Amino acid sequence: MRLAAIICLTPGVALACALPPSIIMTLPTDYYMLGAAITVAVTGLLATSPRLLPRMTARSLFTRPILLPVTATSYAAWIVLLGLILIGFLGARDPMHNLLTLTIWTVIWVALPMGCTLFGNLWHAINPWTAPIRLTRQMLGRTGNIGLARFGHLPAVAGLFGFFWFYIVSMSPDDPQTLAIATATYWTAIYALGVAEGEDWLQEGEFLTVYFGFISKIAPFWLDMKGSRATLKLGWPGTQILIMPALSPSAIAFVTLALAGLTFDGLRETFWYMGLIGENPLEFTGRSAVIGVNSLGLIATWGLTAATIMAALHAGPMLQRQPALAMAGGPVPHKARPNLMPVMLSFLAIAAGYHAAHYLTTLLTAGQYMIFALNDPLFQGDAYLGLPPFYISMGFLTDQGMMTLIWNTQFALILGAHILAVILALRLTPAGVQARVHFPLTALMVGYTVLGLWLLASPSG
Amino acid sequence: MTRLIGMTPSRRGLLKGMAATASALALPGFVQAQSSAPIKLGFQLHRTGIGAAYGRWYERTTQAALKVVNDQGGINGRPVEVIFEDDGTDPKRGAEVVEKLASQAGCDAIFGPLFSHVVIGSAPRAGELKVPYLVCSEGYHVASGMLNRWTMQPGITDVRAQVSSMAPWVANNLGKKVTMVFPDYAFGHDHRDYFTAAIQAQGGEVIKHIAIPPTETSFTRYLPQIPKETEVLYHVMVGPAVLTFVKELGEFYGTGARPEIFGFIDSLEAVDTASPGLEFLEGTHFWEGNCRVKQADASENEAFYRMAVGVDDNGASVSDAKDISTYAHMFSCWETLFILKAGMEAAGYQGVADRQKLVEAIEAMTTMPESAAHPQGDKVFNAKMHQVFGHQNISKVEGGKLVRVYRTSIEETMYENDTDYTAMSF
Repeated sequence: MRLAAIICLTPGVALACALPPSIIMTLPTDYYMLGAAITVAVTGLLATSPRLLPRMTARSLFTRPILLPVTATSYAAWIVLLGLILIGFLGARDPMHNLLTLTIWTVIWVALPMGCTLFGNLWHAINPWTAPIRLTRQMLGRTGNIGLARFGHLPAVAGLFGFFWFYIVSMSPDDPQTLAIATATYWTAIYALGVAEGEDWLQEGEFLTVYFGFISKIAPFWLDMKGSRATLKLGWPGTQILIMPALSPSAIAFVTLALAGLTFDGLRETFWYMGLIGENPLEFTGRSAVIGVNSLGLIATWGLTAATIMAALHAGPMLQRQPALAMAGGPVPHKARPNLMPVMLSFLAIAAGYHAAHYLTTLLTAGQYMIFALNDPLFQGDAYLGLPPFYISMGFLTDQGMMTLIWNTQFALILGAHILAVILALRLTPAGVQARVHFPLTALMVGYTVLGLWLLASPSG
Repeated sequence: MTRLIGMTPSRRGLLKGMAATASALALPGFVQAQSSAPIKLGFQLHRTGIGAAYGRWYERTTQAALKVVNDQGGINGRPVEVIFEDDGTDPKRGAEVVEKLASQAGCDAIFGPLFSHVVIGSAPRAGELKVPYLVCSEGYHVASGMLNRWTMQPGITDVRAQVSSMAPWVANNLGKKVTMVFPDYAFGHDHRDYFTAAIQAQGGEVIKHIAIPPTETSFTRYLPQIPKETEVLYHVMVGPAVLTFVKELGEFYGTGARPEIFGFIDSLEAVDTASPGLEFLEGTHFWEGNCRVKQADASENEAFYRMAVGVDDNGASVSDAKDISTYAHMFSCWETLFILKAGMEAAGYQGVADRQKLVEAIEAMTTMPESAAHPQGDKVFNAKMHQVFGHQNISKVEGGKLVRVYRTSIEETMYENDTDYTAMSF
């Protein structure tokens, strides 16, 4: 209140705004969106000719012994995490010079998901809970559980929501000390639950494990581990999804929240959203002013995302008709309607693709700080990576050629993800489903394609 | 293609150059301190949030200045440490940062915030905690008298001085009938109000104000509002749509006659004026606080500063010719750090108990001659207003480069008001 009063009394706010001019805004993004929408819609026509769909089978490239047991790598990751938390408390206060902030927001949340989308579940090896939980349970001689399994993915849903809120809405997620406290608290909570329930619970109860597990199913390369042998496999992106069991209701809640969180992270910065909440994007007040409205925005985006997906998955089956000869093409009885819920898995492709597109520039900008900090963690002129001293470079953000390349990469990622999602949706559809049943879902995918591109093309503050 | 990493600014070469230059420059000496513990200065950094693009260069400039200060023996013989703390370009967090830096980290003084709303939200906390708070925000809020005894702006001139001092040259050289195009919020209103009054005082007139909503992304429906008799088009558009604005302005006038065009470099700070799409700006004029392109008559102090921060002759990072710095503004961090040094040395600063003495020592400053500590040029500090006054530059885009055509005197930038912080209690 006092601040508002002060601002009203301000004789003049001087500095304009530091938002760089947007080169993407000068590109014909409308045509890109139109082209993408048509392409996804045409892909949807494959529903009429399922024979044309790619077969999507996996090939084994080679098999090798597992070099390092997960217990060892997870334990090492845990030690590293402890070190990072310590750095969060004691290291540089500048978040872009603090390895905890950089590791969590640039490596774990940006680079690792991209890595998992290409090379499978890299998180599995570095999950910092697996070994501590396993070893603690062994030491305690504990084998039982406390029945957390009955909640399905709900604990992970809660974790993911808390994560998105912290990352997108809260005031200072980059602050090393705040992040250290959050990381330590979350690690401890999951560790305690894992010790009580067993390490397998992480697969459905811990949001990072669930998220990485899901998006790594898109990967064209992945390791299949059996006993002491690991087989590297190759297949169409999404091949692994076809052999997944259908998602449970709580897992569906997780996937819709993941999509919504990523969407809202883009949406909240757009001029459109800023206008909606009455913020001037050229003079954004700061996170502290929008915590309430952005909390609502995150929840509303989740609600809308879940509602539209559920509507499409339920509306489609209503279009199923009796074979023309039997009932003159009339609607089928409720019980005989096909179940499209297994198709929900296809949205994992959209999550993975949008994640990579949305955070591409973050990878290119914050990634430099990460390399800098690894090379010279204490700013004493060290060169642990062997790199000469260098300045962080952001010139590409105002370079026509580079930004056009980045936009085209994002375009390819979004379009590719949605085409893949349509194909996966068709492959995941139970036999006997008529092409028309897919119409609402295909329409939704077209809408999502345009939304994803619009979020990336929009002027943002 | 932009090289992200790998280009070496050659730290050793840089240091050698700095040492040579520094030794040739007469900088204030220092007295031997009783304590050898580092002087701790807090830097309130817009590392994230809307100010991040400026924040990156402010940090880089401050790191460079810090190195020079320490290479010269620090402050009062003590090494200097700067603690950078991110305020998210958020006023509420800014106040928290001030508290953290002053109370938890025990900083002797705090400096560096740029965005006005953050300064206005944070300065009261500095006043309550009685910590010297040196802002680099250009805002008139300091000189207006709305802040407190502990808050000062000795490292950069304010927007009122900047805008008002442009009017005489514009009226005498470009024209007297002005149309202003500005974003419809406080920043644009400052320009509207100060320039309109200043051009009237020159016998000129703003014949049309065109206020553009901040969320606008296309300007074609506003441009026909520019009156035909306009002699000077004054523009201060900012934000992501600037390139679109320039492109559409170019299309609006085509190859035909256009008025003279004058703008503030805030529109294109950190953007290469030779970028494709900005060709229309050729021959137009800009205000610059400090000239981003190294001018033919650049002083050795300017050259030293440029080299120390790692900026090439075009105003870009020495490691990336596309990475244009926020050169018009960022000198404020450099100069403010040297003012802290001079103030602490004049006050015989020993520790936080001497914070008041430091403020008084800075208030005692009057003229600041051009030097390595003041590479932008000489300045005059008005203790009552807690505001510094200095030269402003008008540059013309020639061959895609900003070439200075006029440098105001300090007197041209001065104005009067009845603010007197020195009469306020600590």
